[in-house]
Amino acid sequence: MATVVTSYEPTFWDKLYIPALFQGLMLTLKHMFKKKVTIQYPDEKHVPPEGYRGLHRLNKYPDGRIRCVACEMCAAACPAHCIHIVPGPSPWEEGKERYPVRFDIDLLRCIFCGFCEMACPEKAIELTEIYDFADYSREGLWIDKAGLLEIYELTKDKNFYDNSNEE
Amino acid sequence: MDLIDFIIICIKVVLVFAATMLAVMGMIYAERRISAFIQNRLGPNRVGPKGLFQPLADGLKFLMKEDIIPTAVNKPLYLLAPAMLLIPALMTFAVIPFGSSLTLFGRQISLQVANINIGVLYILALTSVGVYGIVLAGWSSNSKYPLLGGLRSSAQLISYELSMGLAIVAIVLMTGSLRLNDIVSSQQGHLFSWYVFKQPLAFLIFLIAVYAETNRLPFDLAEAEQELVGGYHTEYSSMKFAMFFMAEYANMITAAAFTVTLFFGGWDIPFVDEAAMGNWGALLSGIAFILKTAFFLFLYIWVRWTFPRFRYDQLMNLGWKVMLPLALLNIFITGGILTIIS
Amino acid sequence: MPLIKIDDKEIEVEKGITVLQAAIDERIEIPYYCYHPALSIVGSCRMCLVEIEGMPKLQVSCNTTIGELPPERKKDGKYDMIVRTQTEIVKRERENVLEFLLLNHPLDCPVCDQAGECYLQDYSYKYGRAHSRFLEEKRVRKNEYLGSNVIINHNRCIMCTRCVRFTREISGTNELFVQARGDVSKISIFEDKSLDNMLAGNVIDICPVGALLSTDYIHKNRFWNLEAKKSICTDCSVGCNILVYSQNNRIYRLNARENHNVNGYFICDIGRYGFHRYEDAEKVTSPLIRSDGGFKPISWEGALKEIYEQFSMSMSGEKQQIVGIASPFHTNESLFMFGRLMNNIFKDKSIIGKLPFIEDYEIHFDSGFRISKDRSPNRKGLLDFCPNLEDEILQKVKAGEVRLCYALDDGVDRKLDEEWESFFKSQRFLVVQTYAMTPLAKLAHLILLGPSPMEREGTMTNDQGRIQWLNPSVSLTNKTRPDWEIIMEFMNTVGKRELKYTSVNEVNLEMGERFPDYRGRTFFKIGYQGLPKKNITTSRPSEGRQAIQ
Ligand code: SF4
Ligand code: SF4
Ligand code: SF4
Ligand code: FES
Repeated sequence: MATVVTSYEPTFWDKLYIPALFQGLMLTLKHMFKKKVTIQYPDEKHVPPEGYRGLHRLNKYPDGRIRCVACEMCAAACPAHCIHIVPGPSPWEEGKERYPVRFDIDLLRCIFCGFCEMACPEKAIELTEIYDFADYSREGLWIDKAGLLEIYELTKDKNFYDNSNEE
Repeated sequence: MDLIDFIIICIKVVLVFAATMLAVMGMIYAERRISAFIQNRLGPNRVGPKGLFQPLADGLKFLMKEDIIPTAVNKPLYLLAPAMLLIPALMTFAVIPFGSSLTLFGRQISLQVANINIGVLYILALTSVGVYGIVLAGWSSNSKYPLLGGLRSSAQLISYELSMGLAIVAIVLMTGSLRLNDIVSSQQGHLFSWYVFKQPLAFLIFLIAVYAETNRLPFDLAEAEQELVGGYHTEYSSMKFAMFFMAEYANMITAAAFTVTLFFGGWDIPFVDEAAMGNWGALLSGIAFILKTAFFLFLYIWVRWTFPRFRYDQLMNLGWKVMLPLALLNIFITGGILTIIS
Repeated sequence: MPLIKIDDKEIEVEKGITVLQAAIDERIEIPYYCYHPALSIVGSCRMCLVEIEGMPKLQVSCNTTIGELPPERKKDGKYDMIVRTQTEIVKRERENVLEFLLLNHPLDCPVCDQAGECYLQDYSYKYGRAHSRFLEEKRVRKNEYLGSNVIINHNRCIMCTRCVRFTREISGTNELFVQARGDVSKISIFEDKSLDNMLAGNVIDICPVGALLSTDYIHKNRFWNLEAKKSICTDCSVGCNILVYSQNNRIYRLNARENHNVNGYFICDIGRYGFHRYEDAEKVTSPLIRSDGGFKPISWEGALKEIYEQFSMSMSGEKQQIVGIASPFHTNESLFMFGRLMNNIFKDKSIIGKLPFIEDYEIHFDSGFRISKDRSPNRKGLLDFCPNLEDEILQKVKAGEVRLCYALDDGVDRKLDEEWESFFKSQRFLVVQTYAMTPLAKLAHLILLGPSPMEREGTMTNDQGRIQWLNPSVSLTNKTRPDWEIIMEFMNTVGKRELKYTSVNEVNLEMGERFPDYRGRTFFKIGYQGLPKKNITTSRPSEGRQAIQ
């Protein structure tokens, strides 16, 4: 069965366009007085929501051991091939016998897809909410194990940008 | 004309020039802020209080930029073009009365640089000269996009200048004079003596045509960034580019002032007899003029950030098939009524 | 010949083989752990259960031999046995077996070196159930050293006893045994006898899970990062087939590769850990020339010019003699070129010698595995291509003669005794082709940069006369040039030849042209399993069965 589609026939009033123009002008005028959405970046910072995929971190157990066992699942999952791990026997008596001697991520290559986080069987690598980590050199964007652990310290208890419980 | 008159005129010229340039800067700032507001943004607010010095920073930036002259350009014309555009834009202001007359030291000083009897023609002539700047810039750049921009601009100007002229003819018919002062004084008195109420159709046509004249959206086909990169000024950089920029805004200011003069009683404040109030009246009238002009300038910006650009064929259709007949019709009606009345 | 049916496939098999072997030969997959073609059958893992028609219970296929039925009792009128590997009950039992195997298994694959090549992983994924119903505490034990190179992780062990059987049947050393019964049983050694025989490393290879670990490789890398190259071992003249695992031009480990004409399933520990010798050697990175007591780098062009100046003079001079020192560590192709250089260009002015062969004690295992007395990989090839080799070069070359010497260097661990040292020192000009600063290289006037053993490509002839492919496992570094190419340049420079071989294949073809024994022994033909030389009609027949694992 065919459906009859009646198209809208513009009236004379419509064809004048003048009212439509005024409608448009009124709309923009209204927006002029609306609340502004601008976040004035270096002064104010956007607080990303839960689950934002920013800079990586390497998690630790409460007793200070690194969770990562250098299984290289993340490196295998990484579509950008930017994780470089050198495994070795762990220095701790307890727990897993393997740990990463080196753990480097080339942030310039990383596409922040979060696959590493998903692949990790130890919940060791995680993407944090930190997004402003620009640097002036390529070397500066090659984050190593120490750097990743430092990010963990920065972000373990609170959102990095959330200053509400400070001061 | 004695020496003092000459000095007075010089002072007026300098004042008007300074005021226009200041207004240009103000416009640049306003354009950016208002566009931001319309888009729920904040706009430039870093340089100076509320970002007021942003135009200065812009100017400084333009000064510091490398001045590139492409090898293939026609150099004399290429250099001439920005000036060709800017100078007429500034010159136009000479005939516009921006207040009633002032009495200082027993001398009557009219607030107008030159009170000539063909003010309207003078303005029409100068705006037409301005388009040469654009066409020259487009042609001398020796590049595709500027050429297209220049061509569009000249075609557009021819189409719309016609309607604009015809719209003005209706006013001239009513006033019986081409002198802008006469036009203003004929609108003195109560509110409805403004021509906008007597000639609404002419006003509409004039307003639209003026947007096209000044190459402002929705008629900015000459510079249409999305299609022509930058239109006629694609190949310009540094201060030469800034001159185009300034010319555009200066044009707008003149056009706004012209609109006010023709249709909104110029410096007239309705129901107030400025002449009787002496110098205070002159001051008030000046302020009234500025406020009215400012409104139209705001309208420019407002319209720019509201409407999309016309397609080229639409532009031509509108100009030739709608505005021209309407303008002619308007003259007939006006003429008819005037004949009947007299 | 019995005719059997496995699933839908009719197979005619030899009498007496097991169902599992028949299935493996036909590439029908039956999962198994404890079966190994080289070892005796114990049937302890129960992974290979199949349904056999006429038998009330499921049977372990590794230990069910196929016989011939009298004609009237044939199944379906023609089959001697009907086996089903995919029925519901078989699948369910596989699940159950795996659940038992995993009862105490730690499932710490992220930490485990076997991950990626682990049959427990693979079969669990394929045949196992996703969840364990085991609620009790898992039994946890500490890792232990079984020998100096082998660690056992008891938690991962599935008690297939392949390793125990290996030490009993292949190495014959009996170090390993199963201690205790039930869930407390574990693989152990006696206090006074650790797992330190010459074949100990093989237990790591044959362990189907990650229970036996090599101290050499533990926590070093992951299996999937490694690139496996099929090559041969160059540590003795047997020429065992190996897999070389490397990543980014660094070798991580060596595994045995099956070749029933050479080494069977195993390799010895000398070869297995042999690659480390090259790691610490002081590498040469560019051709070097002696200057004021030391060496300074020289370009290849410069080196060839030097050679031209020194050696072409000798072509015209009367009393001069060229001494060529060949090496049994080099490939047939290099030695062939070397022989050509000496015999065809220098002709009677030259004399070919060699450093003394490296010999050690011969080791024979009862299982047939053999480590040769001759610890140089290509003595056969050397003798083939340099037939006029002087055994006693030191006596032949008289003192006082003006001599030029071109030596192919052997290896990093070769020591030079007094006599040899003074021999080399008395050379007027000594060119050494090497990759490391060996004692010999230290005496040279000119060092040509050749590839290291892991970079060499060519063929080798083992002591049985079998030609095998030495496949380079790491790529050539910057300025290194293949041995045959250096010798070719030598020939072109000194002998005014215009040889233009572009790859080792071309040298190999030319070699086949001139030496009938090697005719047709191209890389393509010899493949990864090798071929005997032409005049050797019989080599040891292949007897082992193929193993998937
Ligand atoms: S976020 Fe994606 S690209 Fe970045 S390291 Fe992880 S897996 Fe690699
Ligand atoms: S971060 Fe996770 S996935 Fe990556 S190596 Fe460590 S444990 Fe494995
Ligand atoms: S033996 Fe296999 S299943 Fe067990 S932990 Fe190692 S890789 Fe995983
Ligand atoms: S029981 Fe048959 S392979 Fe282990």
